[in-house]
Amino acid sequence: MNQYVILTVVLPLLAAFLLPSAGRFSFSIARLIAPLVLLFSTYLLIDVFISNTEPFVLHIGDFIAPQGIAFYIDELALIMALAVQIFALLLWPWKAPGSDTNSSASVKQLSLMLLLVSSANGLAFSGDLFNLYVFYELLAVATYGLIAYNPNNDSGFDTGFDTGFAAAFRYLIVSATGSVLALVGISLIYFLTGTLNFAHLATLQTTLYNPIGLTAFILILVGFGVKAELFPVNSWVPEVYSATSRRLSALLAGVISKLAVLVIIKVMLFIFPYDEARQFVLILGLAGVIVGELSALKANDFTRMISWSSVGQLGLVFVAFSIPGKAGIIAGLAVMFHHMLTKPALFLIAEKWGGNFSLLNGQGRKTWLLSAAFVIIALSIIGVPPLPGFWAKFLLLTGLADNTAYLAMIVILIMTVIEAFYLFRVFNHLYGTETDTSGNILRHSFLDQLTVSVLTVLLLVSVVELETVNIMLNSMTDQLTDLNGYIARVLGSSGAGI
Amino acid sequence: MNALDLLLLLSLITLGAAVLLSASLTGRMLTTMGYAVQLVALFKIDPASVQTSSVVFNFLNHTISWSFNGLSWFFALITIGTAFLVSWFATSHQQKMLHGALAVNVFAMLLLLSAGDFLSLFISWELVSWAGVLLMMLGKEDSLQASLRYITYAIAGGMSVLAGIVLIYNWTGSLNFDALYGLNLNPYQYAALAVLFIGGFSVKMGLMPFHLWQAPAYGLTAGPATSFLGAISSRMGLFAIIVTLMHVVSLETLQQLELIPDMFSVRNLLIWIAAISIVLPTFTALRQNDARLLLAWHGIGQGGYMMLGLLMFDRMGSAGGLMHVFNHASYQAALFMSVFAIIHRTGTSDLNKLGGLVARMPLSFLVMLIGIIGLAGLPPMNGFVSKWLVYRSLLNEGMPLVFLAAVIGTLGTILSVYKLLHNSFLGQLRLEHEHIKEAPWSMTIPMLLLSVVVLATGVMPGLILEYVVSAQLAMGLTPIDYHLGGITSSGSNISGDLDMIWVVVVLFSGFAIASILFLSTGKSRRVHQLDNYAGGHFLNANNQYQYSDNFYAGLMHIIKPWYRYSFKWFEGALTSLVNLASVVSRSFFNQAHMLILMLVAVTAMMAVVII
Repeated sequence: MNQYVILTVVLPLLAAFLLPSAGRFSFSIARLIAPLVLLFSTYLLIDVFISNTEPFVLHIGDFIAPQGIAFYIDELALIMALAVQIFALLLWPWKAPGSDTNSSASVKQLSLMLLLVSSANGLAFSGDLFNLYVFYELLAVATYGLIAYNPNNDSGFDTGFDTGFAAAFRYLIVSATGSVLALVGISLIYFLTGTLNFAHLATLQTTLYNPIGLTAFILILVGFGVKAELFPVNSWVPEVYSATSRRLSALLAGVISKLAVLVIIKVMLFIFPYDEARQFVLILGLAGVIVGELSALKANDFTRMISWSSVGQLGLVFVAFSIPGKAGIIAGLAVMFHHMLTKPALFLIAEKWGGNFSLLNGQGRKTWLLSAAFVIIALSIIGVPPLPGFWAKFLLLTGLADNTAYLAMIVILIMTVIEAFYLFRVFNHLYGTETDTSGNILRHSFLDQLTVSVLTVLLLVSVVELETVNIMLNSMTDQLTDLNGYIARVLGSSGAGI
Repeated sequence: MNALDLLLLLSLITLGAAVLLSASLTGRMLTTMGYAVQLVALFKIDPASVQTSSVVFNFLNHTISWSFNGLSWFFALITIGTAFLVSWFATSHQQKMLHGALAVNVFAMLLLLSAGDFLSLFISWELVSWAGVLLMMLGKEDSLQASLRYITYAIAGGMSVLAGIVLIYNWTGSLNFDALYGLNLNPYQYAALAVLFIGGFSVKMGLMPFHLWQAPAYGLTAGPATSFLGAISSRMGLFAIIVTLMHVVSLETLQQLELIPDMFSVRNLLIWIAAISIVLPTFTALRQNDARLLLAWHGIGQGGYMMLGLLMFDRMGSAGGLMHVFNHASYQAALFMSVFAIIHRTGTSDLNKLGGLVARMPLSFLVMLIGIIGLAGLPPMNGFVSKWLVYRSLLNEGMPLVFLAAVIGTLGTILSVYKLLHNSFLGQLRLEHEHIKEAPWSMTIPMLLLSVVVLATGVMPGLILEYVVSAQLAMGLTPIDYHLGGITSSGSNISGDLDMIWVVVVLFSGFAIASILFLSTGKSRRVHQLDNYAGGHFLNANNQYQYSDNFYAGLMHIIKPWYRYSFKWFEGALTSLVNLASVVSRSFFNQAHMLILMLVAVTAMMAVVII
């Protein structure tokens, strides 16, 4: 059964390229195929997840690593891939963005979505840097297309006169430059070691502990950091997230950014487990927290506010992963999964709540369901106990204290106050103001309400099931930090391939 | 299920009733009954025992638990008692959210009071903070601003406490209250914990310099909510500080942390902060023209007395500080209720727009009279007893300067409460208030009950001292010797006997003599308020005798130059700084050439690596 995991990469990819042809026959078939493929991948992943307790390796075409391509599939990779499928389904573009009519998404968009899912799965499983880079590029291409996608245009995409165009173009420039940097970094590693397989590189760590090796790490960090919303390369975030459809923003901010984070973390764990590397991640993460939260403070519309807050949250993720040892991984995973649950819900809420905050006046009574969901999510993000966000932050803070990173602790605590300020301001608009002149009701579609409710309930369930979540995080961390096991599984216990 | 579980369960049931049923009058009455039942359940718990809730949670191999001791019991009595009367007072109040918010507050406070370890302390502390917002948001636009300011302060305080808890966890690997027992940390570690915990908790307490949020946040919200908030809410900070002193840094440790060797320790610093928190807010209260803000500022000042008493940490001081919590809650709730009875009838609490209401609302007047005597700390009301204990303790411990500050504070209190009473009830009735009636019975009965409490516990302080003693025992102190009428100091070398019953007898015999003299010297004639004259002129409806505007003009002239608004300035400066930082960080996202920064960052990092 295990080898079928490969289908979760292949099938969406195949479907993505077949969809345009299928769409010429019948649009409804094309529309049906795409979610069916995702459902099938979900089923496969769940099945594999249940039947495996140990990580396993897929050697593609039975070519042994490090020469062949290896997929390394552990709990974390499975959960991330599952999250990709599930969120892609939850956030599927059933309706074309920007159009209020029932005109459905075009085949082009669906095909790009499938491409996105396929490459995201590949990113989760890949066991070597070369394939990671390939899937990352594939992901980037799909993202450009989706951001620029505009159903109201004849060509289907934004041209120079449309709002999304500028955002997509800027994103393209940053992301493409990032890719080039990452490629240079990967080349440097190859130059130093002659291999790109993670397991093989892990055995050669010491050859990389020099200025050139660390330069390679910096280039990879910044290059992949573009999608992970890392500090100096995240200036595209608010613009893109407010220009594209909220469902796409939710997917990008919620899941795709996490995959990029994990790529960086894997590189850091397997190849560069050095304090210097951690320092860079810590500093850039902290800068991200500061810049994100401070910018969100002055945001004057809801979408931008949560985009900036997303920058801050991902900064927190990086700070957490920069803590050495298991404590850091657990904290990082906790913060990351928390953000993965909350941010998509916030973007879905932003679907109707965009624009000036005063539009929200009095909505707390009119649209109570989503307002209540927003309050719960926001409180969790601030870290109000006993919501999950608090436990994640607690793990993060104790981890920092263990490593006497008191400055980072102080920064995070202060930024939490700022976070509380700007989120609470929204509560004030929702519940406090009695002078609601507009009288409009910002009602979300039933589907959005359902999705947000499901995510919020999941958040609340994780409070009750804290112990289970803890156990899962621990087992994922154990698998991720078991470097010797990793090497043995990929290269064979004798190291046959080397 | 033990008694504590029962109490918490009842509180939850009340919460449910308040949320679901408060739309109807019956539902609101049921909610009020719910608090009464909680009081009964509370009295089922023996204050001298320790009750541990059977509900526990596990996290990180750590068990989060809740338990109740004499100290918790004492604060719980005040919380539930206030909630009961406030809820009664609010039965005619239509605002739907009020009753639910009140019940949430009570539940959160009970959780805080029964916190059994640092984690449950922090969890319930945050719950209390956020529950408070629910009440504060009930008012109009300005109360929303105040609540936003409050939550910023509260979260900042909470984060400070969280930092302290994380440090303790890091140093000891445990989150139990006994984590630090028997450990010898170095002075810097103790200093860090003291700053983080006491600083964080004193935000809620409104100790200076963290006091700016409190008066508007408490004063400007909807009526009954103010009574509750003003009476008990900020005392949760005091409770948490006591817990800190018991389990984190003891007063002896604070005494050993010297800022100036042999002269000035952290404890002295706290004592002076408490003293300043008495004086400055009291005189700020004197300057207020809104009755609600005047009282709310006094709430901050009175908190200073409690803190002062506790920082003495001897038998008398701590008893005085604790008893003042109860006393303050009783008269402050009564005073706010009386003010809201006025607002209920006249629609304003502006002290320059009221006057003469004694003729129309005599019961509210009586309540306010008793309340202000309590607030000013004069016999025979309960405020006198607790303040007397604090004064005695200050003198016994040899702190005449702090004593002087406390007395100045009391002076300011007396002046400002007279302003409150005079401007609202005395003087001449305004024409527009000619047809005003007394507040409805649903409001006056709880007010009067509170006044009875203020008077009764003033005459017979032993009623409360019984619980104060069990709280002292729970804190590990030697309790004071008390009897029904007051305190005996037998068996100790410090002086200080007080028998309120005798004080009252003397006082009332004085009154009796005065009234005999008054009645025996001829007849008086009742006149209408407008049938009067001043300065040789007859007063009529167009030309009134009303001294309320610019009250205490001379005194104001004297104290005004002392106000530099430094705290406000500092708060403003901090806000501007954050705003500036925000603008700067936003400009990062607005730049035209995004790639430059990317290359700069990469080059800089490479430079670090290579060098």
